[in-house]
Amino acid sequence: MVEAGAWWTLLAAPGLLVVLAALAVAGNAVLDARDAGRPVGVAGAVRPFLGVPRALVAQPRRLPAQDRLLWRTGVVTVPVAAVLSTLVVPFGGRVVADPSVGVVWFNAMEVLTWAGLWLAGWGPNAAFSLIGGYRFLAQGLAYELPLMFALISAATGAESLRVGDIAAAQDGLWYAVWMPVAFAAYLAGVLAFSFLGPFAYPAGRDLAGGVLGEVSGADRLLLQAGRWLWLASGAAMAVPLFLGGGAGPGLPSWAWSLVKTLLVLGLLVWVLRRLPVVRADRYVEFAWVVLIPLTIAQALVPALVNLGR
Amino acid sequence: MDLTGLILRVTAGRPHVLLATVPGGAAVRLAAERLLRARDWPQASTPAKADLLLVAGPDLPELRTALERLWRDMPAPRARVHARTPDEVEAALDSGRALLGSPAVQRESAAPPGEAVGHREGEHGAQERHEGDDQAPGHDGDGGGEGEAGRAGDAHGGPDGEHAPHDAGQDTEAEHGDGRQAPDGQVPDGQAPDGHGDHGDNGNHGDHGGHGGHGDHGGHGGHGGHGGGQTDMPGGLPMAEPGADRDGLTLDRLHLPLGPFLADWPAGLTVRLVLQGDVVQRVDVDEPARPSDDAAVEAFWVQPWLRAASGEPVTVGEAVRRRAAAHLDSLGRLLAVAGWPAEAVRAGRLRDDLLSGAPRAAVAPRLERLTRRVGRSRTLAWLTRGIGVVTAQKAREAGAGGPAARADGDVTARYRQWLADIRHDLPRLEDPAPLDVAVEDSPRGPWSAEAPPSAALIALLPPLLEGAELAAARLVVASLDPDPEELVSRGVVEVARG
Repeated sequence: MVEAGAWWTLLAAPGLLVVLAALAVAGNAVLDARDAGRPVGVAGAVRPFLGVPRALVAQPRRLPAQDRLLWRTGVVTVPVAAVLSTLVVPFGGRVVADPSVGVVWFNAMEVLTWAGLWLAGWGPNAAFSLIGGYRFLAQGLAYELPLMFALISAATGAESLRVGDIAAAQDGLWYAVWMPVAFAAYLAGVLAFSFLGPFAYPAGRDLAGGVLGEVSGADRLLLQAGRWLWLASGAAMAVPLFLGGGAGPGLPSWAWSLVKTLLVLGLLVWVLRRLPVVRADRYVEFAWVVLIPLTIAQALVPALVNLGR
Repeated sequence: MDLTGLILRVTAGRPHVLLATVPGGAAVRLAAERLLRARDWPQASTPAKADLLLVAGPDLPELRTALERLWRDMPAPRARVHARTPDEVEAALDSGRALLGSPAVQRESAAPPGEAVGHREGEHGAQERHEGDDQAPGHDGDGGGEGEAGRAGDAHGGPDGEHAPHDAGQDTEAEHGDGRQAPDGQVPDGQAPDGHGDHGDNGNHGDHGGHGGHGDHGGHGGHGGHGGGQTDMPGGLPMAEPGADRDGLTLDRLHLPLGPFLADWPAGLTVRLVLQGDVVQRVDVDEPARPSDDAAVEAFWVQPWLRAASGEPVTVGEAVRRRAAAHLDSLGRLLAVAGWPAEAVRAGRLRDDLLSGAPRAAVAPRLERLTRRVGRSRTLAWLTRGIGVVTAQKAREAGAGGPAARADGDVTARYRQWLADIRHDLPRLEDPAPLDVAVEDSPRGPWSAEAPPSAALIALLPPLLEGAELAAARLVVASLDPDPEELVSRGVVEVARG
């Protein structure tokens, strides 16, 4: 069972999330260096972080007829929602809060990024940026329902929306094993709401950066950080939902949580480099014709199993 | 203690570089890309994320305004350098880094005049902004939307006019995303959208894919007298006009020039799009910008053919090597547009190794790997299938004869054709026979100074782009990859003049 509510977890959870996100960025940088034929090492891994102080001294942009309030709101929403989503993600035996609707909270925070990214695309009053915002909505229409059915599958299996209960219910058999479709749909959803790799469509290079095309300085830092924070948060959430939480032989539960989270994160970073950007116009078709029926069928499996018990 | 200065010095070690290639600058671009990759200086795709503007290639007066616009859109701290030949690139990048780390950059965007290597450009930041203010309505990038009033009106009167009221909601949304550009200080009371539209057209000269519109982002832009037309022109910007679209709706028209400095785009090509939503409604291709003194440019990718045609001895091996590298360059660009940066980098490395004379044994296994990963990728094929179909017959009618014609199909067929061509060329990389221009095709088709192959490819573009979505349009251009340099090259220009 997880223990919720210790005051220090409120600081530890965001801290841990930032560390995990930084590890993902560094890992990606190492793979970049390998592909580009540069020496692979620690120096190459930390170089992307030079962008952080750089962003802080950069000049903010002001565009004609921009919608400053909504723009800033959108930019801030993305990383903030990512951090808030981790409040219900147990790490080992600890969690900030374990409400009875934890899965819904996570999902709600993830949907906030819809609003955030759309506003970030809308605010600067620039064509490419706006199209980038629209693209995220189209992508959202494709990934969101399969993701929700994946979450529902796990919740149905445990007969609870409490994340702690879901982790505990996988005693002996991980949901990832007997709900592989839900697990895969969930991981695709994680890449999609972090708009990275195959789902970087809203920030596509063909749009000169899309939603990221007009932001500079601290705004840019926030949006970019939001992507990787979401990736880390999604990886951390996969552990209690599908991989049995902190359960495992030998090691303490926090160690198991860490190992599993890092493995999922590593898998996601590897995948995001292996695929080209999946355009929403093609992915929507695939999602609605193939993924949604599959995930519904998947959600049916734990429902029937529970009925038969 | 000067913390900002310290940060600037430290972070100048990894500037984000906006590489603006002008026609004639392909060789410089290649040198720069190789160096940036080796140094881990990321390439920026927009001015917003760039610290250092590197202009690659000769001076082209026509493109000077577009370059100014890029520069004006870059947030400080920023620096700007110019490399005219491949040898100047390293020095230019070094001086750019020095500029970015200097204390001067804190107060002003650094572009101090410099006579030394690298040809740093001289304007001072503050002065720049004044210029910007003076020309405010003119440098507005996408302003063309406003000049469309007349045409849009026609559309209203047309058969689709009755749809207009139903779509009011959508219209208001799109309007904001559209009517942007010029800072308002210059708009006198009651100035008609017409007049403004004209300015918009001026401003349209190839800004960086729509990023030219931000006259005052420098933070000190003139927010002068707000005109009386405020309600009609938010921020002094006229609204877009709606027009009928292909689905029978009435949506706002968005005027978006692509090029000449868009990332992963043929250098110097400017395509003006009229978009509704993200569907291309109309396409106009501009004449490519020409250097002031003709014959100064020698198109890099067809160099062996140009030399052979003028009687110099060139071997088949050299030409074949150049052609394979050209295909890899095109492929890398297509992969970048398709959103696969990891493989784009690999294609770029292979290209650079080929150009620096790597033997076949070193190239073959890596090409094999690229063919496996990219050529046989089902995902990429699924994403590019059915886009931009050019049948062999259509290509021949347009006068195109190269890989685009032989592929006889969609984007997928064309990138697979490139890979097949490279494979086919590999055994001949060291072939010492003299090059016969009539036998060996140049990278984009049989070489002829009267009708360079890229001219045919550009002619193919408008009908392919109309009705395509923006993302598909970018893929189509990248898969045909015309080289505007061929059109302004030595030899071609001379023939055109008789």
